[in-house]
Amino acid sequence: MTEEKVIESDVLVIGGGMAGCFAAIRAKEQGLSVILVEKGYVGRSGATSLAAGLMVFNPDWGNKLDMCMERINSVGEYVNNRDWAEIIFKESYARYEELLSWGVEFNKDTNGRPITNSMGPGYSESLQLTRGQIALVLRKQLDASDIEIRDRVMITDLIKQDGGIAGALGFDRDSNGPLVFKARATVLCAGTSSFKPFAFPVSGLTGDGAAMAYRAGAEITGKEFNFTTRTSAERPAAWIANLRSQGVSGGAPALSKFKNVLGDELPGVPGVFSLNMEFETHAGRAPIYSERPDGKRTAMIGGAASGASVHMSEGIWPANTQGATSLPGLYAAGESYGMIPFGATYPGGGMAFIAAAVSGARAGLGAAEYARSVNTPVLDGDEIVRLTALARAPLERKGGFSPGWVTQVLKNAVIPYFILFIKRGDRMNAALTMVEFMRDHLSPKMFARDPHELRLAHEAKNMVLNAEMKLRASLFRTESRGTHYREDYPRRDDPEWLAWVLLKEENGRMKAYKKPVPREWWPDLSIPYEERYPARFPGE
Amino acid sequence: MAIERIDPELCNGCGICVRICPMDVFRMDEKSKKAVIAYPEDCMLCEFCVLDCPKNAITVTPEKTAPLILSWG
Repeated sequence: MTEEKVIESDVLVIGGGMAGCFAAIRAKEQGLSVILVEKGYVGRSGATSLAAGLMVFNPDWGNKLDMCMERINSVGEYVNNRDWAEIIFKESYARYEELLSWGVEFNKDTNGRPITNSMGPGYSESLQLTRGQIALVLRKQLDASDIEIRDRVMITDLIKQDGGIAGALGFDRDSNGPLVFKARATVLCAGTSSFKPFAFPVSGLTGDGAAMAYRAGAEITGKEFNFTTRTSAERPAAWIANLRSQGVSGGAPALSKFKNVLGDELPGVPGVFSLNMEFETHAGRAPIYSERPDGKRTAMIGGAASGASVHMSEGIWPANTQGATSLPGLYAAGESYGMIPFGATYPGGGMAFIAAAVSGARAGLGAAEYARSVNTPVLDGDEIVRLTALARAPLERKGGFSPGWVTQVLKNAVIPYFILFIKRGDRMNAALTMVEFMRDHLSPKMFARDPHELRLAHEAKNMVLNAEMKLRASLFRTESRGTHYREDYPRRDDPEWLAWVLLKEENGRMKAYKKPVPREWWPDLSIPYEERYPARFPGE
Repeated sequence: MAIERIDPELCNGCGICVRICPMDVFRMDEKSKKAVIAYPEDCMLCEFCVLDCPKNAITVTPEKTAPLILSWG
């Protein structure tokens, strides 16, 4: 009989990327004990280790807040949270200075100035990072702050008691028993969701944060939007190798035009995520080529990060701007936190990465303040037994379904462009029927041969849940907006859908409901529709 | 295909790749005291092993294939 090991701290941080590291450092500065757990390895895991750019806003550099906000609001198609967007701009410089003081390096030009990919005069800077080192600098800073790091620990569930969160339970690669983390406050920074896409190296980002929060009763938002980035069709998985050969970040060189197989140029759209490639594909005009100014052509495909929403636009619904959620004791930051500062389409420019830093710092402070106001929780033995059984179940089974197979079957069911990107009610319902079967029949019967595969089993279970969330949110939003496009509802429906979709478990079922965007953030509805939304969707 | 090879002549057994791989692909072989590829199907081509290996012993190729769908695994 395996005994659980109980590890206690004032604050528990789940996830060691930009958000989690800032949360941990901030909480530790308040004089509390902090443990940070990471499924992979802090410094080389997550999206943080891949980051190419960091947005910094500074009025002293000539950046203008109203210009930046106006762009965010229109690119985000007016469902962005302006409070969060402003906070991110205004606090970016302080986080940038902190990162510099810790030793983060930015690429510089021949005059020694940081290279910026700004949108133009007045807009915020997007400073280029030297690849691969910022996450290691963050790890070094955790060590310097005397924060305990536990790598290779996967959290499977939050521990809920008396309506609040008392910590989390998981397992590591090497020990037999479960690990029980008891904490006065927990900060969830587990990153974004994905379906282990074929291109973007984010296979560890399987929506664990939203999944465990949903199971604990939190509301989840933003699942209908999509991270539509693209990759080369010739070597789709070689995203990193392609970066090296192109010398820039992203899936295609800057200044390239996109052309369909007839040679027609695709219209540009505001923001970096657009569905243009999928529209052309749907019309039968693929392959789509990116063509450099020197004439070199590369066939491109979309869906390189399938399963993820727009950066920072998905996750646990915030209860305030200090990282709190609707569950006492649970805080969140980064891509596990549904701040939706950028709305329905991502504006680009390193904004997501600085948002992780800003929100991480706020959540760390919020969690520390909460932790100081409560006693150490006393854990309910029965609940620990239940969560332990759930965590270990795949290891206890002798047969069943392999996580690798369940993952592949899921990918085939939900990634095709005509389900994920070019949506329609009947196709989504068909996919949802399959996903419900996977949830009810495949997920509970997965077996794992070792702790490595145990992680894969829990990731597959969380990905099936993410698929259900994406489909239900997309079915509920009966309009098109940004990176959420429906053939059966091709127009933006402002009177009905200037709102956010929230998902919550009620009586064992996933329920969707909407929360309106505050009136003061609405666009002027007297402006003609085509002017309000210059980007046209097919079928409008 | 994806993570391809660790050159046993170059590998010095430092264990960095085992420690840092985000997808937990590597293990230390107890007998040879060198790193081995234990779970190649989970490689996501981030190439941090290639970047961090002090001996340039690791080869990652740009291709990745999807597994065949059989009945259960």
